[in-house]
Amino acid sequence: MAARSRYMHRAESVALYGFLVAVSLPIILPYFWLVTIAFSARTGVAETMVLWRSTLVLVPAVIAFWLTAMLARNRRQMWLGMAATALVAAIAFGLLVGPDLHLRNFIFLVEPDFASVVRSRVGEVHGAMQFPNVWHAFANSLLIAGAQTVIVVTVASLAAYYLSRWQFPGRAAMLRSLLVLHAFPVLTLIVPMFLMLYWIGLLDTLFGVILVLVAFELPFAIFIMKGFFDAVPWDIEMSALTDGASRRQAFLRVVLPQVRNGILAISVFTFIRGWEEYIFVFTFLVRNTNWTMSLYMYYVRDDVMGVDYGVVSAVGVFYLVPSLILYVAAQRYLMQMSIGGVKG
Amino acid sequence: MARVEFRNVVKRFGDVDVIPDMNLVIGDGEFVALLGPSGCGKSTSLFLLAGIYLPTAGELLFDGHVVNEVEARDRNVGIVFQSYALYPHMSVRDNIRFPLRFKKTPREEALGRVRAAADLVHVGELLERRPGELSGGQQQRVALARALVKEPQLLLLDEPLSNLDATLRLTMRTEIKSLQKKLGVTTILVTHDQIEATTMADRIICMRAGRIEQVGTADDLYRRPGSLFIAGFIGSPPVNLITGQAVDGAVRAGRVAFPFNGAPGGVTIGLRPEHLRFAEAGIPGRIAQTEPMGREILYVVETDLGHVRVLEHGASAAHAAGEPVKIGFSPDDSLVFDTATESLMTGARVHPPLF
Repeated sequence: MAARSRYMHRAESVALYGFLVAVSLPIILPYFWLVTIAFSARTGVAETMVLWRSTLVLVPAVIAFWLTAMLARNRRQMWLGMAATALVAAIAFGLLVGPDLHLRNFIFLVEPDFASVVRSRVGEVHGAMQFPNVWHAFANSLLIAGAQTVIVVTVASLAAYYLSRWQFPGRAAMLRSLLVLHAFPVLTLIVPMFLMLYWIGLLDTLFGVILVLVAFELPFAIFIMKGFFDAVPWDIEMSALTDGASRRQAFLRVVLPQVRNGILAISVFTFIRGWEEYIFVFTFLVRNTNWTMSLYMYYVRDDVMGVDYGVVSAVGVFYLVPSLILYVAAQRYLMQMSIGGVKG
Repeated sequence: MARVEFRNVVKRFGDVDVIPDMNLVIGDGEFVALLGPSGCGKSTSLFLLAGIYLPTAGELLFDGHVVNEVEARDRNVGIVFQSYALYPHMSVRDNIRFPLRFKKTPREEALGRVRAAADLVHVGELLERRPGELSGGQQQRVALARALVKEPQLLLLDEPLSNLDATLRLTMRTEIKSLQKKLGVTTILVTHDQIEATTMADRIICMRAGRIEQVGTADDLYRRPGSLFIAGFIGSPPVNLITGQAVDGAVRAGRVAFPFNGAPGGVTIGLRPEHLRFAEAGIPGRIAQTEPMGREILYVVETDLGHVRVLEHGASAAHAAGEPVKIGFSPDDSLVFDTATESLMTGARVHPPLF
């Protein structure tokens, strides 16, 4: 009986996993394509055999993992089964897909004029665009996302603290308008923003884009942070004041550490928002020394797509990595976003 | 250690007079309790002393110096909050050390004082832990250590025991009291629990709607409550109140007449359940319900004057529900209030009815 109910229980959770995998397929498949192509495609060869072969390894491997999880009688059996499956899958992958893997699509990392190189492989040298060094675009993206994050986090924390702690006329109206601000489609404002930046003289500068991004990200960040500050009890702030802290010291040493998770959350989201920014940089930045990764990606696709989608995929993978690292590093904190304060 | 004085202190929030006019002197080294129902302004008075609220008018004095304009951090006041208000991101050691950081106490001395304060309240073993890993009682002790480590001239306790379970409350009551005697620090306890106030404090300040209703020892408040409100507030189970009319040497309430020595007018008689007993003569009634309370039994007696509670010693009920009884009492235990002004008529006594 017990064994049977355990079996049923496990079958249930396996079915649940199956369902989750099925619904996430539309997201997983493009990434699968991107990564596989980035590491295997060759210039001028439109070949999809690698895709099929790696699918041939991956799908049975997933099913095998699944079956071991369901059929194993104890933990040890399960680990053994998993290890065996992983080993077989690794060998099969090495034999079937391994020979096709190479890093030549990542040529753009070392060769700024890679477009000419790629085109020359198929005997076509004319009309290749002058690409800036990819590391330059990478640094620009990093600068935009990083500066935007620093400004947003600083301003949002201070503003949200003020909104959370002080009563002043128009506070409720201000909170409401914060949300309304976020509701407008950004695209509607792009022409006036362009003109404004032109008049101020910040058109085609990274700083101009940073300012615009900050303006659009702030309302929501303030709103999130206000929720975190609201959750910090007054008592510990009062306690800090009677303990001899000034208001600023109480804020920095006692209140701010309580909202650490909130700060982390808005940092990650704001950074990724800046990293993936496309519309504003596309409109407001012109010179190719100002290109960000998204623009670089766009022009690579524009220029060599017909010739070599392996390079395009490789740029995509390169563009993806920082966001991925950030999410993996911060997910522990993002998951426990709502925890804070002490209960007696 | 400080002598604390409120001089015509007013605190107003918007249009609400939380404290209309407060005058009070608390002596050096005294342990007083601010007692009152919630919303009576006792916590507000505490925050005024701590410097978190600024008085709207009047003067606050520490040792004869006006401290109205002195900021919270310069007042050297230790405070224990109802929620303990420990800093969750710091270890117990850092929590207790926190006040010393702003006094620029040298590291060695600071750590020594943290250790001493922690040992004083028996949390010396817990210095490395985080507040979240402590029980309620332990958190409370840490909060106490943090309030004491800076050697405050005034210690404020805001409902410090209300989040503890009954047994722990008993222990902490004794401990805080003996600690206060040992250190001799002027201490103000805010509470809505009469037992806490009467057991711990030297003097009790009873508050109602922002005003001080009566100041006195636990005994004063119990034996000679200045008003109906205090009579009702102090004592458990609560006092029996009987409204009547004083005419020709007796208070008439319903069909019962209590012989009375005072002037005619509307009076309210207060009789504490523990002062009542079943007798040959007295208020006639019938037992409606018995409530065993362990060492005592509470009888609810149905009379002409409504329900009257009588508390008798003994573990088992000597009278059963439905039994007719007469309730007597000693005239010295009776309290007589003027119904109109709600204040105690000093010297007035009623006697139990003669039939």
